[in-house]
This record gives sequence, structure tokens and C-alpha cells, in this order.
Amino acid sequence: MNIDALKQEHSSPNVSDTLTFRNIRVVYSDEQGAGPVHALEDINLSVAAGEFVSVIGPSGCGKSTLLRVAADLEKPTAGQVWVGGETPKAARLQRRVGFVFQDAALLEWRRILQNIALPLELKGVRRPEREKVAADLINLVGLTGFERSYPRQLSGGMRQRAAIARAMSTEPEVMLMDEPFGALDQITRDRLNLELLVLSEQNRITVVFVTHSIHEAVLLSDRVFVMTPRPGHICGELNVSLPRPRSLKIRQTEEFLELVKQGTTLLQQAFL
Amino acid sequence: MKIQTPGDDKRRFSTRKLAAAGEIAWLLVPPVITFVLVAAVWEWAVIFYEIPAYILPSPSRIFESLAKDQGSILRHSGITLFEAVAGFLIGSFLGALLGTLFAYSRMFAQSLLPYVIAANTIPVVAIAPIILIWFGHGIPSKIAVTAFLSFFPLALNMMKGLRSYDPIIMDVFHVAAASNWQRFIKMRLPSSLPYVFVGLKLNVTFSVIGAIIAEFVQADRGLGFVIMTAYRTLNMPRLWSAMLVSAATGILFFALVALAERWIIPWHSSMRKAE
Repeated sequence: MNIDALKQEHSSPNVSDTLTFRNIRVVYSDEQGAGPVHALEDINLSVAAGEFVSVIGPSGCGKSTLLRVAADLEKPTAGQVWVGGETPKAARLQRRVGFVFQDAALLEWRRILQNIALPLELKGVRRPEREKVAADLINLVGLTGFERSYPRQLSGGMRQRAAIARAMSTEPEVMLMDEPFGALDQITRDRLNLELLVLSEQNRITVVFVTHSIHEAVLLSDRVFVMTPRPGHICGELNVSLPRPRSLKIRQTEEFLELVKQGTTLLQQAFL
Repeated sequence: MKIQTPGDDKRRFSTRKLAAAGEIAWLLVPPVITFVLVAAVWEWAVIFYEIPAYILPSPSRIFESLAKDQGSILRHSGITLFEAVAGFLIGSFLGALLGTLFAYSRMFAQSLLPYVIAANTIPVVAIAPIILIWFGHGIPSKIAVTAFLSFFPLALNMMKGLRSYDPIIMDVFHVAAASNWQRFIKMRLPSSLPYVFVGLKLNVTFSVIGAIIAEFVQADRGLGFVIMTAYRTLNMPRLWSAMLVSAATGILFFALVALAERWIIPWHSSMRKAE
């Protein structure tokens, strides 16, 4: 990729970039003598502020590892990562990163309002203040009326909305989303896709979104990166120049279908 | 899963307390019926087969004995309950502390856990005389035996509970830059509560047993003492009534802990009603 080559020429990260991966390699040592596992190899990727980037690829291609490295949940074996000009650890400690997992991962002993307020609570924000922020977020993600419900009283889609609201509570510079809608049915998924689309367009959030679905990736993103497994590597990039604001209807347009076709081709090539 | 509307939710909450009280009352009906039936058959059998009272006193004889010296039995059971509760509190506290250390330090757990388990298998009748020698002949030694018995269940369950958190939730706390103390207080401790209550309920049973056994070995008051003296004088109705009161004491104590569980972890799946 030309972009990779360009990025490598810089000696420091581009200041306008919110997230930069440079020459990232992640190798897991072998546990059963099967040889080391190359989860990620030579990853170069930059995400500009306000940009929505998707990473797509089959299971086990290291997409999640990429996000986990950015969130300081894992350390790269080699290479550098900058989050808003800082190391992942510094960025995490400054609470500049939001993470949405495939599982909503709500605390079952807390009501929804307290779940969403958790990151602010951990930050030491006072109760009235953090509950006000949480209440606003509840309205934003359409969970009004469920403030006092327990997570198990909510459907999967609603739990995932709460998880998104929780990740947004500290107003992070970058949202890392690891297949957040992967476990949902198609109808709920469509609805949450639309909501995330509106949310990201109106709030200009920087998002890195991991998914299996090329449709979802094209619908939401400015750019889509295609990854191949063993070792996890970026094998192609798709520029999605569809106009914004978008709606679900865009999925019936020629341009959309053409992009999906290109993405599918890239994914198939990766396996030949 | 049924999606509730907000109105639904509020209605449910306002009537919940009343419904809960009624529910508990209804819970008492089946066991009371069982009790009455068993007592009736028992009474009849004792009269019909002319069973002597020292082998099996009839329920009426037992209640007669209980009514006759209810003041004495109540005083003795009060002492036993006090020993049980005090030992339960001390033992549970120390057990929780040790369990927490085990959960946090693998080294500590590996070097001490085998001995804790070994100590747990010592019969209480063997350890009770030793503790009595150490702590004297008064109530403190009974509390010590009780504490010794109600120590292990919570230690082991606490360790298991603190290790049983969801790793994704740990990731959530990590990304949110939570301190170790916050991780303990706001995540690992709440996740451990269902296990903690398993341990506490075991401790309730063990603490009543522990108190009575300690009184068997040596005491001049308490239900264990009453049972022992009733046995020596072959006053079987009194022995049976002491036994019934000790069972009632244990049930009461257990119910208190079960109630606390309902109140503290209403969110846990074990608290859901069977459909």
C-alpha cells in the first residue's frame, strides 16, 4: 500500500491523526508447542479525527487484537501505537479511549443508569453530575424509562445500547468497537446501525469498528480495511465516499452495491 | 425475553413489597401442613403401639415438657444462639479475610490452602477439647469452637467468588482506568457475593452445630448442656424439646441470612422465581 509507505516516512505521528499504528506486530508464544502465533504482522494504519474506520475480516484474523492493542489491553511485540499523540497506556489513563465489546459486559448488579455512569464514577465524578450525564446518554441511545432496570431485564439490543452509552460517558477521543452488533438479529442490527450512523455523524466521533459484515462496514465507514489471517495483515483498503448524512436506504444504491462487491472481492482474494 | 414498558416496571415496583409479604406467608403453608400431619401420625403411633416415652415421647409430651420449663429452655437456647451468632460473625470475618488473601496471592494460596483443607477435615469433637483448654470454660471457648467451624466454608467460597469475575468486565474496568481498589470494591466483591452467601449459609448450620458440640464437651448452660443432662437423667421429652428448639434456632438464623441474600443480591439469577 502506498499509504503504508507514506506513513513510514514520518518520524512522529501525524498530529491531526487520532490513532496511528506503525509496524505493529503481535506474536503469542506457543502454549502447546504449536509454534508462535502471529496475530498481527506489519500493521500500518492511521485514523483521522472524526473519521469512521471499519476493519473487516474472517474470525481469527487479529481484528480484535488490533483494537485491544490500541486500548492498552494487550502490548504489541513490536511497533508503535499513538492515541491522540500518546502511548495507549497514557491515553487510557487519561480516559481518552472508549471500548464497546461484542458482549455488552454490563454489571448485572447495577441498574442501567449506574452502569452507564460507571466510567465517570471510576474517574471520581460526583454522583449528581455523573447521573446527569448518564441520564442524557440514556435519552441519546433511546433507553429512556429503563434507568432503573437491571441489565437482565433488557433485550440484547438494549443492553448493547447501554454499553455504547457507557463507552461514550467520558467523551473519549476515539471509540473502539469490537463487533458490537455481532450477536444481534438482523432487524435489531439494522436499527442499531442506523442509530450509530446518526450518532457518529452528529457528534463527529472517531470510531474504529470491527465487523464480519461488509454491508455494515460500507454503510457506516469512511474507510474500510480488509484483513487476512495468519499472520493478521491488512491486505486492502476501500474508500467509501458515499455522501453523508446516510440512511439505510443508501444500501439500495448502485454505488453502495459496487463498494460491497469490491470489498467482497478483496476478502475473497485474501483467501486464494 | 419480554421487553417491559416503563409503566409496567413502575407498577411492578409499587406492588412488589405487598406481594413479597404475601408470598412469604404462602411459603409457610406447605411446611406447616407437613408439620401438623407428621405430628398427628406420630401422636397416634405412640398411643396405638404404646411406645414408652424414653424411646419416643409423643408430640404432646414434648410440648408439655417444653411448656413446663419454657423459661429455662429459652434461656439456654438464647445462650447457644449467642455463641452461634458470635462465632459465625468472627469465623465468617476471618474466613472472608483469608479467602481474599487466597484470591489475590496464588503463592499464599498454594502454600497455605492444603493445610486449611486438612484442618477442615479434623472432627470438631477432637478439636473442641483443645480449644476449651486454650480458651477456658466459659462462653468464649464455645464461640471459639463455633468460629473455627464457620471459618472454612466462607474462606473457600470467598476465594472462588473473587476469582469468578467476568474477564470482559475486568477489561471494561481496565479501559476505564480503574484502580486496584476500585476493581476490588466495585467488581470482584459484587461478583463474589453469590458465592459468599453459599459460604454464609453453610456457616449458619455449622455454627449452631459447633456451639452445641462445644457445650457437649463441657458447659453448665446452653442447649448442648440441656441435651446432655436430659440424656443422663433419661428425661427424653426434655431432650426432644431441646432438640426441637435447637432446630428452630438454626432455621431462624438461616432465614435471616437468606433474607439478607434476597435483599443484597436481588439481581442474581438464583434469586429469580422458578417459573
